[in-house]
Amino acid sequence: MKYNTRHIINKIFTVVTAASVVLMIVILISVLGPMIWRGSSAVFFKSTVEFRKMQLDLHHRGDEAEIGDEISKSEIYRDFIYHKIDVFKKGINTDYYTDRVKQIYRKFSKELQYNGIKGDQLSRRRKFARGIRRDMEKAFKSLDKAEILQIIDDVNKCKGDERIANTKADEFFVLADEYKETIKNFDLSKRQQYAQALKEVEGLVRQLLGPRSDEPLPAMVMDRYGATRVDLAKELLDKIIWKRQWVQQNPDKPMVEEKVRRATQFAGTELESIFPYIEENFDTITIPRFTFYWQYFFDDSTSGHYFGGVGPEILGTLILTVLAMAFVFPLGVISAAYLVECASDNMAVRIIRMSINTLAGVPSIVFGLFGLAFFVLVFIPFFGGPSKPCILAASLTLAVLTLPVMIRASEEAIRSVPKTYKEASLGLGAGRFRTFVKVTFPAALPGILTGVILSLSRVAGETAPILFTGACAFGSVPKSLFSQTRTLSYGSYDIAVGDKIGMLVPHNQYGMVVTLVLLIICLNAIAIFFRAKIFRRLKGH
Amino acid sequence: MPTSTIKNQAKSDHIDSVVSLSEKKTSSSKSELDCQCPVVKAENFSFYYGSKAGVKDISMEFYPCSVTAIIGPSGCGKSTFLRSINRINDLIPNTSVKGNLFVNGHNVYDKNTNLVNLRQQVGMVFQKPNPFPKSIFDNIAYGPKLQGVKSRSKLQQIVEESLKAAALWKEVKDDLKKSALALSGGQQQRLCIARALATKPNTLLMDEPCSALDPIATGKIEDLIGRLQSDYTIVIVTHSMQQAARISRRTAFFCLGELIEYGSTVDIFRNPGKKQTEDYVTGRFG
Ligand SMILES: Nc1ncnc2c1ncn2[C@@H]1O[C@H](COP(=O)(O)OP(=O)(O)O)[C@@H](O)[C@H]1O
Ligand SMILES: [Mg+2]
Repeated sequence: MKYNTRHIINKIFTVVTAASVVLMIVILISVLGPMIWRGSSAVFFKSTVEFRKMQLDLHHRGDEAEIGDEISKSEIYRDFIYHKIDVFKKGINTDYYTDRVKQIYRKFSKELQYNGIKGDQLSRRRKFARGIRRDMEKAFKSLDKAEILQIIDDVNKCKGDERIANTKADEFFVLADEYKETIKNFDLSKRQQYAQALKEVEGLVRQLLGPRSDEPLPAMVMDRYGATRVDLAKELLDKIIWKRQWVQQNPDKPMVEEKVRRATQFAGTELESIFPYIEENFDTITIPRFTFYWQYFFDDSTSGHYFGGVGPEILGTLILTVLAMAFVFPLGVISAAYLVECASDNMAVRIIRMSINTLAGVPSIVFGLFGLAFFVLVFIPFFGGPSKPCILAASLTLAVLTLPVMIRASEEAIRSVPKTYKEASLGLGAGRFRTFVKVTFPAALPGILTGVILSLSRVAGETAPILFTGACAFGSVPKSLFSQTRTLSYGSYDIAVGDKIGMLVPHNQYGMVVTLVLLIICLNAIAIFFRAKIFRRLKGH
Repeated sequence: MPTSTIKNQAKSDHIDSVVSLSEKKTSSSKSELDCQCPVVKAENFSFYYGSKAGVKDISMEFYPCSVTAIIGPSGCGKSTFLRSINRINDLIPNTSVKGNLFVNGHNVYDKNTNLVNLRQQVGMVFQKPNPFPKSIFDNIAYGPKLQGVKSRSKLQQIVEESLKAAALWKEVKDDLKKSALALSGGQQQRLCIARALATKPNTLLMDEPCSALDPIATGKIEDLIGRLQSDYTIVIVTHSMQQAARISRRTAFFCLGELIEYGSTVDIFRNPGKKQTEDYVTGRFG
C-alpha cells in the first residue's frame, strides 16, 4: 500500500516534469517559429526581375546578358501599361494642354521676331494668336463637352487666316484636334475624380513596375526599381486591382471597409483595360524566380532598409559586443577577485555587494541615460574625445550594464575553485597574486565564461543603452571608435517605431531580429566551445 | 575487578600488535633520538580562531631525518598546529597567535619572515590529493618556477629528480604532458609529494595524507615516507594509530587543543605516561 502510493507519486512526478518540458518546447516553437519563418524570408524568397536588375546595377551580380534579356521582355508589357496611362492622363490633366498651348504661342512670337516683323504688324498678329490661345485655354478648363466642341470648331475656323498662316501657330489646330479626340469618350464631369484615382494608380503601378524606361534615372535608389520581391509585388497588385474605401452604409452604423474593383472605377475609359492586363500578365512582367539571397548578411542597405541587407548592422553589433566584452571581462574578473580574495566582510564591502545586486535589476534605459550623461558628456570629452554619441560610449555603457552579471558569475566561479588548489599554491610559496593568476583564474575560467555567455547575449540584444550613446538607424559603416554605428537591435527597433520605408518591407525587420538571434547563437557557440575545451583540459581528459 | 582485568588484557594485546609493527621498521635507540638539534620548535605556542583557541600552549620540537606523528581525536587542533608551521592558516581571517614557533632557527611569526622562503623550506602535503589542473610537468615545475628557475632543461631535471624521489617517475615518465587529474588518487598524492619536494624543502608537513586513499596506495605512500625520512624532517598527522606506529619514530598526542604527551612512538603506545593517552591508544577514548 505504502509502496504503491510512493510508486504512483514518483510516476506523477515524472509525467509532470516531462509535460512541462514538452510545454516549454511547444511555447518556444510557437513563439520562435513564426518569427524565424518570416525572418528567413529575408534570405529565401521569390525575386522579381527588378531584384535581379538591382543586383546587377548595384553589385554587379548575375549574368548581364540573361538579365538584360529578362528586362527587355518585361519592358514590353511595362511600356504598354505606361502608354495607356499616359493617354488617359492627357484627358484629365489639362495642365499638359495649357502648357502646350503656351509653348506654341511663344514659339509663334519668336518666329515673328526672327522674321523681322515689328511694331504694329507684330502686335496685331500676336493679338490674334493670343485670342486663339485664350479660347483654347477656356476649352481645356471647361467641363461642358458641347461648349468645348463649339470652341474647338470656332478655333478651327481661324485656320488659314493670313495673320497666322504658315507659322508655328498651325500647331494650335493640331492640338485642338488631339484634345477633341481625347475627350470623345470621356465623362468630363468625373475629371476631378479621375485625377485623384489616377494619381493613386500611377503611384502603385510605379511601385510595382519601377520607373518608365525613357525617364531619367531617379535620384533616390529606392525609386529606381519596382517591387523586388514577389510577395511585395502581389500585395501591390492586390492594391492596384482592388480599391479599399471606407463607406458608411447606415447613418448610425460604423463605417465599413469595402473593396471595389478599380476597373469599375474607370469603366468606359481608356484605362479600364490595364487592370485585367496587369493581373493576367503578372508572371510575365515580374518573372518570379526563387532566390537564396545569402549576401543579405553582408550587403549594405539603401536608406530605410528598402533594399539590401544587414551587413553594417551585423558589423556594428559585433564591434559593440566585442568591445563591451573587452571592457567588462577584465573589470568583472578583477572586481570579483577583489570581492572573493581580498575584501574582508565589513560594512563597505557589504554595501558594494548590495549595489552590484541592485544594479543587475536596473532597467536598461536608465543605463542608456547614464551613458549619455557620463560617457558622452563627461568621460570621453575629459580625455579629449568628441562629446557626441559614439561606438566607444555605447560599448562602455553596455559594459557597465552587464558588469553586475559578469561580477556575479566570476565571483561564483572564483569561489567555487577548490580551496585546496589555493592552499597547494600558497604552500609552495606563491603569493596571493600569483596564486590567483596561475591557479585560481585558470580553474575559474569555465565559470567566468558562463558569465561571458550571459553578458554576450544581453549586450548584443540591448537597444535602450545604445539609444542615446552611439546607435543610429542610417549612416555609413563606422570609420573609428568615435563614429556612430548601426546595430541589429536598434535597426529593428527603428523599423518598428518609425521608419515608414522600413514598414513597407516587414521581412527586413524579422530578418534583423532573426539575424540577431543567429549572431548571438554563433557568439555563444564560440564561447561554449572554448568553455568545453578549457573544461576538458581542467578535468584532464 | 574482573572487568578491568579483561580490559587491561585487551589493552596490552593491542599495544603489542601495534608496537611490534613499529619496531620492525624503525629500529631506534633512545640516545640517538636526543642528540640532534630541532628543525621546528614551538614554545608555548597558541593559535586562536577569533577568540576560540585552535591549539593552546604547545611546546614541542621536531627533529631532522625522522618521522614524527601527531595523533588525536578529530577537532583537537592537529591540523591547526601543522598549518601554523608554514603559516598557511594566515588565509583565515581573524586569527591570532601567542608564543613562538621557530623553523630552522627563525621565528616564523616574526614580522620580517619571508613567507616564500618559509614555505619552500617547509613543504606541505594535504589530506585530499590536490594537484593543479595542469600537466604533471607543470605541477612539479610550479615551485621551481616561483624560485626563478627558467631554463627548460633545469626544470626537466628537477621534475625528473622529484618524481624519482616520490617513486612516481617510472609510472609517468612517458606522459608528463598529461593532466595530473588523469592520475589515480595514490599517484596524485605522490605527485603532490613530488611537487613539495621540487622546491627542495628540509621539512615535510603531511596532514592525513592517506585518509583519502585505498590500502595499496596507502602502503606505497608509507614506503615512500620511510624512504624520505633519511633526508627530511617529516611531520605527519594521522588518525590511524597503526600508521603512526608503523612509520614514525616519535609520536605526539593532542587532545582538545593541547599537547598531552610527546615521546618516542614505542613509549607512547607501550607505556603511555598519561591516562588520556592510554585511553586513546587503547581505543577507549570518547
Ligand atoms: N577556519 C576555522 N575557523 C574557526 N575554527 C576553526 C577553523 N578551522 C578549525 N577550527 C576549529 O579549531 C579546532 C581544531 O581544528 P583542526 O585543527 O582542524 O582539528 P583536527 O585537524 O585535529 O581535526 C576545531 O575545534 C575546529 O572547530
Ligand atoms: Mg584535520
